[in-house]
Amino acid sequence: MGMQGDFYQLLKEQGYTIGSSGEIGNGHEVTNATTILAFKYRDGVLVAGDRRATAGNMVMYDRTDKVLEIDRHSVMAIAGVPATAYEMARILEHSFKYYRRTQLQDLSFEGKLRALSKLLKENVAAALAGTGAVAPIFAGYDAEQGTAKIYFYDILGAEFEGVEYAVSGSGSPTIRGILHYLNTWGEQPLGAMPEEQAVIQALRLLTSAAEFDSATGGVNRDANLYPVIKLIMREGIRTIPDSQLKQKFEASVCRGT
Amino acid sequence: MYEEPYRWVEAVGNRRQYLDEQFKQGSPVAAVAYEHGILLLSVSRGTPKLYEIYDRLALGGMGHPADLEKLRFNLLEMAHVEGFNRSPSDVTGSRMIKYGIAPVIKQAFEEVFKAPFIVKIVLAELGQKAGKDSFLTINYDGTFEEGTRCAVLAASKSVEQEMMTYLRQQSTDGLSLEQAVGVALRTWALGDRSQCRAGEETAAGSQEAAGKPAATDPASLYAHLRVTVAEKTIECAVLDRNQPGSSKYRAFTPAELGRLLPKDINALI
Repeated sequence: MGMQGDFYQLLKEQGYTIGSSGEIGNGHEVTNATTILAFKYRDGVLVAGDRRATAGNMVMYDRTDKVLEIDRHSVMAIAGVPATAYEMARILEHSFKYYRRTQLQDLSFEGKLRALSKLLKENVAAALAGTGAVAPIFAGYDAEQGTAKIYFYDILGAEFEGVEYAVSGSGSPTIRGILHYLNTWGEQPLGAMPEEQAVIQALRLLTSAAEFDSATGGVNRDANLYPVIKLIMREGIRTIPDSQLKQKFEASVCRGT
Repeated sequence: MYEEPYRWVEAVGNRRQYLDEQFKQGSPVAAVAYEHGILLLSVSRGTPKLYEIYDRLALGGMGHPADLEKLRFNLLEMAHVEGFNRSPSDVTGSRMIKYGIAPVIKQAFEEVFKAPFIVKIVLAELGQKAGKDSFLTINYDGTFEEGTRCAVLAASKSVEQEMMTYLRQQSTDGLSLEQAVGVALRTWALGDRSQCRAGEETAAGSQEAAGKPAATDPASLYAHLRVTVAEKTIECAVLDRNQPGSSKYRAFTPAELGRLLPKDINALI
């Protein structure tokens, strides 16, 4: 099986299964307490996520990184049960590397999308039981088509292309409307926005999500906590440093002091 | 007929002869530490000889391509499963070789009814800090050696020793990338020339040249390269400590390599 370069298959042969199946049917309410978003801007795709992790109405952690670099050209932003989401990210990271190293070529962008879809499908039992639901966004640079793309998934593994933008998590209904409004009636459509503008909008969007969703962290200036914002371009992935986020936040997001 | 111990020893001896014969036409491999990591170089006739194994592991091989592929897949599987189940820093070259493929290669070599692996492998491992790199070579019989600054593969032990002496002499601490390419290329040329000469000598039945130290000045090594490299490809890859991301392996394209080759050789090839 190794000859196919399928790392997940290799893991399964070694007795690995993803998620714990639990008892199907007596599920708890599925919660994706977070906000992640991605949209296309002038030079590629911007992916952003707040940094709060919650358990019920308790804040567990305020420095979570939900925007994960899977390889040099793809990013997975996670909403849902962190344990399963991080596990999936780790499997993907190893899968893409394993494929590249065995087959001596990169896995196609479509192949990468399918890999995530497959993991979500295998995880359905845990997702429905309420112990492992994950609804991620996957964004990356498609070298064959020469463009950066965004896809979002439901917890069952269906993939949808976010042609202009995609959102996920409990704070997402708030900003979905804003994204639609911005893109349709804003000064310029999202796709025409330069980097500077795009980063400011991402900060504003996450701040809005935090305003209405207690599970979204937004920006905490006192603790010097800023969201994670990554840009995907042909050259690769770039993370906006906190110092720049701080400067942009103070100049263009917060009103008065 | 191999039940008797003597027969078995004889069979293993024959096997050694057979395997040594197989490597005579092989292309040597040189690996050397430079200021930002490790450089591997070989010259191939189509099938690649250098591969990425894991984040900080690179492989160079000699021998039969199918056998090399088989062991490469073994290493890849081991490294990735271990890296996933434990952590990438637990995937070390020494574990891969000592507990992974060395027993497999040794067993295949000694089971005289089955085919042995026709391979010699060098596994280069990039340390977290400069000076912490390690080089492991493994022979077709499963014996392995560990080094810290450089390693080579060649058809015979004597050629390997010759190459190592030259490589140790030439590789000072903190070689630049260009210098490392030059040193590795000259080491390759030295090894390949000695292999060719050994072949000619056995063919001619003469032992005259044996024991005489070979010329190691760049001009004569480049002269050998000019003759041999014409229809082949110089293959070169690095494990670069400064490479962003977790994977440190990078293979050079012919154009990139062209810019790195020493000036006096660039004109020749």
